[in-house]
Amino acid sequence: MKGNVIKYERDNIDTDVIIPGQYLKVHDYAELALHAMEGLDPDFHSKVKEGDFILSGRNFGCGSSREHAPIALSHSGIKAVLALSFARIFYRNAVDGAFLLPIEIEEDAYSNISEGDEIDIDIRSNEIKNLTKNKTYKMKPFSEIIGKIIEAGGLFKYKPD
Amino acid sequence: MGKTLFEKIWDAHIVVEKENSPSLIYIDRHLVHEVTSPQAFDGLRMNNRSVRRPDLTIATMDHNVPTNNRTLPILDQTSAIQIQTLEKNCKDFGIQLFDINSPNQGIVHVIGPQLGITLPGSTIVCGDSHTSTHGAFGALAFGIGTSEVEHVLASQTLWLEKPKPFEIRVEGKRKNPHAVTAKDIVLSIIKNIGTSGGNGTVIEYRGEGISDLSMEQRMTICNMSIEAGARAGLIVPDEKTYEYLRGRKYTPKNYESLVDYWRDNLKTDNDAKFEKNYTLHVDNIAPQVSWGTNPGMTCDVTESVPFPEDFSKGDQNQKKGAEKALEYMALKPGTPITEIKIDRVFIGSCTNARLEDLIEASKVVKGRKLSSHVRAMVVPGSQMVKKQAEELGLDKIFTDANFEWREAGCSMCLGMNPDILSPGERCASTSNRNFEGRQGTGGRTHLVSPVMAAAAAIEGHFVDVREMDLN
Repeated sequence: MKGNVIKYERDNIDTDVIIPGQYLKVHDYAELALHAMEGLDPDFHSKVKEGDFILSGRNFGCGSSREHAPIALSHSGIKAVLALSFARIFYRNAVDGAFLLPIEIEEDAYSNISEGDEIDIDIRSNEIKNLTKNKTYKMKPFSEIIGKIIEAGGLFKYKPD
Repeated sequence: MGKTLFEKIWDAHIVVEKENSPSLIYIDRHLVHEVTSPQAFDGLRMNNRSVRRPDLTIATMDHNVPTNNRTLPILDQTSAIQIQTLEKNCKDFGIQLFDINSPNQGIVHVIGPQLGITLPGSTIVCGDSHTSTHGAFGALAFGIGTSEVEHVLASQTLWLEKPKPFEIRVEGKRKNPHAVTAKDIVLSIIKNIGTSGGNGTVIEYRGEGISDLSMEQRMTICNMSIEAGARAGLIVPDEKTYEYLRGRKYTPKNYESLVDYWRDNLKTDNDAKFEKNYTLHVDNIAPQVSWGTNPGMTCDVTESVPFPEDFSKGDQNQKKGAEKALEYMALKPGTPITEIKIDRVFIGSCTNARLEDLIEASKVVKGRKLSSHVRAMVVPGSQMVKKQAEELGLDKIFTDANFEWREAGCSMCLGMNPDILSPGERCASTSNRNFEGRQGTGGRTHLVSPVMAAAAAIEGHFVDVREMDLN
């Protein structure tokens, strides 16, 4: 999975800035996408491209349980969020609805990867290749259930063994 | 080895368990509201599924209901549609709904306990992160997303990874419990352990500082567990818990025999092991005021707005976060908290809109007047709270002081209904989140207790409520 990185160098990006409360009444996903990240970065919509990744710090997606948050990012074109850590509800929402991949990274990937870098994520080898900088980083592997839900394509397609 | 209460509740609800795998957990109560449920019901329809246990599913409308005159039509069409959609979904799937005109309507986390729907030892979920509130009754209660809402509607179960137990001890006695409240305890905890300090855990709050609290105060504590990143927060039930739930509308008929069982079984064993521990001593804590854009950015009312380098203790991301927060909040480091002037006051939300919160705030307000440049709203957590407060004459105390007295709902906690801040407005709020734009685009939120909010409303700026005469 290849794409370019949009980097937010901060911790605690909350779901209220990912999709502000006034848009929780919007049911059209394309319209939700127009307001993704609006609370933090009003230029997000104009700069994001299909297949991009977001890179950020600790506790990404903290706050509200709104599934609108991964939906808005996903329908903006974001395929994965790479972060030092995630808040639990955002993490499960992203996976359950097969909206995007929440990828936990280590400090080296966080500090080395820059805005605009092209990276290649391989969730089988748990590696992230920085094609721009010609470097490779480890990602934290998904736990067993998360891996299986991702493989199945979402919570409702997941069938236990 | 002994078990924690959380582990006992978990074990009692396992439907499927295998080693090193997630567990399928049974859900006893599912609370539903208008915002996170429509897509879940759509999913059921698309797949020709029914609701597995409509009798264990209860709905209300709280997030985007207007809090002014309920006899008027809802002006915001998208809100009106979301409310009508919940009505239709509940009718189609046979779910009990407390609608906008019901005397039982209110914030889902306020009405659950008030109606006796929340029970010790049970598992409770809702498509809302503040579901952790119900943990005050010794329930395992947590927020879920819309896909999980659909899964629970369809199956009454959830696939879950087991969180780790985290012990937070609250020791000592508060010197002035009317001025230093449960809100100040939980904000102090979050300030110290951080907004991700509880990630992957279920917090058990214990110690004298917790057992001293009333049920409503315990709800304030458990409510904000999510702001520390925890999956849930809970408190082992005691006689106060059992007394609170006795004789409520939906309290089970065999309640006393349940209480006997709970007394014997809903405990954390002495030899139980917690993965993490933290202790807060409350003897000398001060009223808390948040200065930044997450609940961990909080300090004592007697302190000044911190310098980012002091706050961050060498962490670059923390420093950047603090700088950005101060810019958003338009605050200069070194400014005494008590010199921060406010424009708005919001007394409400699932954190602090219960009867005791309103009683305590009214003691500050009684016989005084709202500062001339401040607009203040009191939004009871439920229509029942509103009615009880009116029976005590609290509405009159607030309106005499020029506060607005409104209908129940989430209101200005999250800016989904017309109750919002204008860009740049600064608000003393009893809610749970001070995120950027949370109370309206460009709005600036300071989290405080109800008495601190009331005192700020009177004075027009933050004051140390310990210095006021509260009789």
